[in-house]
Amino acid sequence: MSRRVPFRPWPVLRQLTGPDRLGRGAAVKSRRSEETTARTASADRVVKSVCPYCAVGCAQNVYVRGEKVVQIEGDPDSPVSRGRLCPKGAASLQLTTGPGRHHRVLYRPPYGRDWQEIGLDEAMEMVADRIIATRRATWEWERDGRRTARTMGIAALGGATLDNEENYLIKKLLTALGVVQIENQARVCHSSTVVGLGSSFGRGGATTFMQDLQHSDCIVIEGSNFAEAHPVGFQWVMEAKARGAVVIHVDPRYTRTSALADLHVPIRVGTDVAFLGGIIHHVLENELYFREYVLNYTNAATLITEEYRDTEDLDGLFSGFNADTRHYDFETWQYQGMRVVAAAGDRDEDYERHGEGRRSIRAAGRGETHGSGGAALEGTPHSDPTLRDPHCVLQILKRHYARYTPEMVERVCGVPPELFAQVCRHLTENSGPERTAAFAYAVGWTQHTDGSQFVRAASILQLLLGNIGRPGGGIQALRGHASIQGSSDIPTLFNLLPGYIPMPHAHEHERLDDFVRADAPGKGYWAGMRAYTVSLLKAWWGRAATPGNDFCFGHLPRLTGSHSTYDTVMAQLDGTCKGYLLFGENPAVGSANARMQRLAMANLDWLVVRDFTLIESATWWKDGPEIETGELATQAIGTEVFFFPAAAHTEKSGSFTNTNRMLQWHHQAVEPSGDARSDLWFMYHLGRIIRRRLAGSTDPMDAPILDLTWDYPTEGRVAEPVAEAVLAEINGWDAEGRPLSAYTALKDDGSTVCGCWIYCGVYADGVNQAARRKPVEEQDWIAAEWAWAWPANRRVLYNRASADPEGRPWSERKRLVWWDRATGRWTGHDVPDFDAAKEPGYRPPPDATGVDALSGIDPFIMQSDGKGWLFAPAGVVDGPLPTHFEPQDSPVPNPLYRHQRNPARMIYPHEHNRYHPTAGEPGAAIFPYCVTTYRLTEHFTAGGMSRGIPYLTELQPELFCEVSPELAAERGLEHGGWATIVTARNAIEARVLVTERMTPLRLDGRVVHQIGLPFHWGSNGLSRGDAANELSSISLDPNSHIQEVKALSADIRPGRRPRGPALTEFVRDYRLRAGITGSTGTEV
Amino acid sequence: MPGKQRILRLLARGQGYVEIGEMLGMPPGRAYLVATGVPADGGDTVTREQRERPGMLPSRSQRLVNPREVNPSARGNVHQWMRRRAWSDPQMRADAGQAR
Repeated sequence: MSRRVPFRPWPVLRQLTGPDRLGRGAAVKSRRSEETTARTASADRVVKSVCPYCAVGCAQNVYVRGEKVVQIEGDPDSPVSRGRLCPKGAASLQLTTGPGRHHRVLYRPPYGRDWQEIGLDEAMEMVADRIIATRRATWEWERDGRRTARTMGIAALGGATLDNEENYLIKKLLTALGVVQIENQARVCHSSTVVGLGSSFGRGGATTFMQDLQHSDCIVIEGSNFAEAHPVGFQWVMEAKARGAVVIHVDPRYTRTSALADLHVPIRVGTDVAFLGGIIHHVLENELYFREYVLNYTNAATLITEEYRDTEDLDGLFSGFNADTRHYDFETWQYQGMRVVAAAGDRDEDYERHGEGRRSIRAAGRGETHGSGGAALEGTPHSDPTLRDPHCVLQILKRHYARYTPEMVERVCGVPPELFAQVCRHLTENSGPERTAAFAYAVGWTQHTDGSQFVRAASILQLLLGNIGRPGGGIQALRGHASIQGSSDIPTLFNLLPGYIPMPHAHEHERLDDFVRADAPGKGYWAGMRAYTVSLLKAWWGRAATPGNDFCFGHLPRLTGSHSTYDTVMAQLDGTCKGYLLFGENPAVGSANARMQRLAMANLDWLVVRDFTLIESATWWKDGPEIETGELATQAIGTEVFFFPAAAHTEKSGSFTNTNRMLQWHHQAVEPSGDARSDLWFMYHLGRIIRRRLAGSTDPMDAPILDLTWDYPTEGRVAEPVAEAVLAEINGWDAEGRPLSAYTALKDDGSTVCGCWIYCGVYADGVNQAARRKPVEEQDWIAAEWAWAWPANRRVLYNRASADPEGRPWSERKRLVWWDRATGRWTGHDVPDFDAAKEPGYRPPPDATGVDALSGIDPFIMQSDGKGWLFAPAGVVDGPLPTHFEPQDSPVPNPLYRHQRNPARMIYPHEHNRYHPTAGEPGAAIFPYCVTTYRLTEHFTAGGMSRGIPYLTELQPELFCEVSPELAAERGLEHGGWATIVTARNAIEARVLVTERMTPLRLDGRVVHQIGLPFHWGSNGLSRGDAANELSSISLDPNSHIQEVKALSADIRPGRRPRGPALTEFVRDYRLRAGITGSTGTEV
Repeated sequence: MPGKQRILRLLARGQGYVEIGEMLGMPPGRAYLVATGVPADGGDTVTREQRERPGMLPSRSQRLVNPREVNPSARGNVHQWMRRRAWSDPQMRADAGQAR
């Protein structure tokens, strides 16, 4: 034992008496500091992982000591994040190890007043029981004489933090059980992206990748608060700015993104199509488009049928509109000389005669099938290279946007002409052979009743400016969840099979060949659809799938219309849907019309909730808002509720697909404790139990589940399925069991297996390519050896367009991919998104099919005509060109057309889902203000992954609403006080934040006030508050079935909302005063 | 506490940070920090000028502080499982054989 020296702890004494006379380190260190070891230094191992929050995909180092996670930090090797984490990512240690997590299975019996703890095994058996029983009781072999082979009694809704492998097993097992109502956060978040980008370019993913933003000369951020919602990704915008780029932020609110931009443009919510249409008008009117690019790489020269009529001719309608069914017939939108194969013509007519009548399959999410592959066309289009023919796309475009003048932009958007002119100038001056501009957006664009058209408008503009497929260009779709792209690619979506293969419909696809013939084009890569589909069927049904039985194509249940998550809510309310599985999703807070979501769940027989904590969707029967209002009584609710604790991302292996289509692997660092399990575990063992129970059954309805390949290897204490084996099945193998390296190797004869054709290559050479982590410093900005991106590890899509028609880079400054005459191949920095050996001068013979039918100047290889679509002859059900319509609930009349709202929008009139009167009509003034909802840096979606975390709740403890000083004065709102915000659906309360960041807009002779509302709160967790989604209605984009929550109208008044039954009376009184009935707001 | 110049001299003699750390009785990551002024774990932004400093590693400096890295990217049992699945499917193998 050392002798105690009384003054030894004094730093100055240590400095003067010890060897460190200059006091550079050791002398000034206290004993306590000296004895403390960093958690990172004492870790047993550092496990490579990925942040589970937003879709930037920041790489993490997970430090483990004694089989406990002791620290999580950013991984500096990552080319995407370069070691950085945002507040949420930095708090993920608390997310994974904090005391807020539940680790025991809970059970609430019918009419029970409280939870009971039950064993995991018992709970799994009970859930298997419920699924088997409900399936038997609700099985439907056919409807209207057509085979459906399904159950409408069971539905599932997953979050987008599910791994790809988990989504794969969810889709595989539930589909085999005949469940079609399989949905995901991807529906309510970015489904409009898939439609908008997919129909324009051929694939529904962001056209570029995060790091390439640094090469932009101008970045327009619109519909996104990039700096706060995707903070780590925003570093690449700042890199561009440091290199001289102009950064423009178009947004209703002034945020940190605006503060770091060169220009902030306040805009009225929901008017972006008018704004973008105004820029398109400016580009066309002043001939500022990139002519050579437009002429060669887009469909500008293509002729449209003479029967086509524009919204300019029909006052807001395109030709082909049926007011009774609210949908369009595409017939008159066709190319001259070429016809749409998919979702058109006789098949749809047939459906209209035989189907449910309300809505055709065109509206049943068909557009999302263009997530990887544009609409199928047959024939050869006629064109006019002079671009003068009145029926050519460019001339139609000019006429369509002729009235989108700067003055009209001001009338609609509230953007003054001089400010608008600055945006136009920056954008056009920074586009062309030498310069490129990029757009970045998020759910501010997607979540509208015409959200897909917002994305389409930007796509048209970027095509006109020649900014697609080029470095520093493109459209960056900022997805908000770790694997929301993956949840579309390997879809837990009702209308898709993996790789954007459409789910078959009951009325049309009797046989595999009919199905393929109906949907596959003869031209382009999608011509291989039969091989992709057969390989998927082989992956699912293995040796049972043979040519003799159509590879078990009949095992797939059939659709008969829309079965989206919002249709599921209606089915729960009417009693059709009896069982519901929630995988990390919280619709009681996060889905539109939250109250209706809860009332629907109260009508279920059983509910399974898998999550970290007791989210609102698990506890509404006990302490939900409707218990307080008296609309529901716990003892009268018959719903049986199971709560299963979920494993964290550090407790399981799997891949996330980030917002740029990049699959990144996270390894299991520790095993989950208690009853916590991964969704992979849950699905695998649930499937195992159900198969055991049904073993020996000769009932034909059980064949799909018994034939299923379900033999994944397991490992560890909890028998966790080996996630890499699931990835291997997704990738596929040949008849020798050798992993495939590219989807071009897939066969349609059953000799290859592949669970998702667009991911084929992720397990090439038997190596988990998603786990590759070559450090950023050892690669160029493409970073091709960091993880793996679909398709074929390409990072900039359509990069053939980075070279001119002869194959030369448009400019030295913007080199990316080019034709190398010496080798006779395409080469460059990125993997060419083109047939590498196809020379620029190649022109296909008239009878060419498949890839051979695309010419050497067709960069959009997933489109049947190889061109970027300025005009969409198919794939977008509410019009070939974006057109400004007001949101479903808007206080402002539409000055452009007679039709106030999108005529083809999907509406769900119901006593719990009333709409507001049309602007200018009696009662509309009751809801005079615009509301928009948004995300905060410190919280995550419906709060399940943030409101229980002390670090994050301390940073953002309370729901608030942002209002301008002018609005505060008008309504008597006090900064820091309370406000009540009301719509026809419900009322909420929030703290008032009076700020000049909210700008009152002057338009069309009036002032429009806007209210900003974060949407993360609910009644559970450390930080509690009302959910913004109490206010929103279920009104959907007809393409993507996404809800409109980024723009609605409301009233605001000072003070707290009423409590108990008085709340429902209060809202009812508003409806009465506004004269709202069942038909209000439902006009075409 | 060993100083920057001493560590740089040892580096110039061809010794690595791990050896230098052992020699000087300090963790290699700290030796890197002393020599370069930049934390080895990537916990700070590195400017272009800083990259030119003597003693800077061009990449992977975090290996000095995170030596026990876990990132497997291939598994033999998965390869075997794939082969087993393929070989147990007679149709798949027959059709592949015909194609050949």
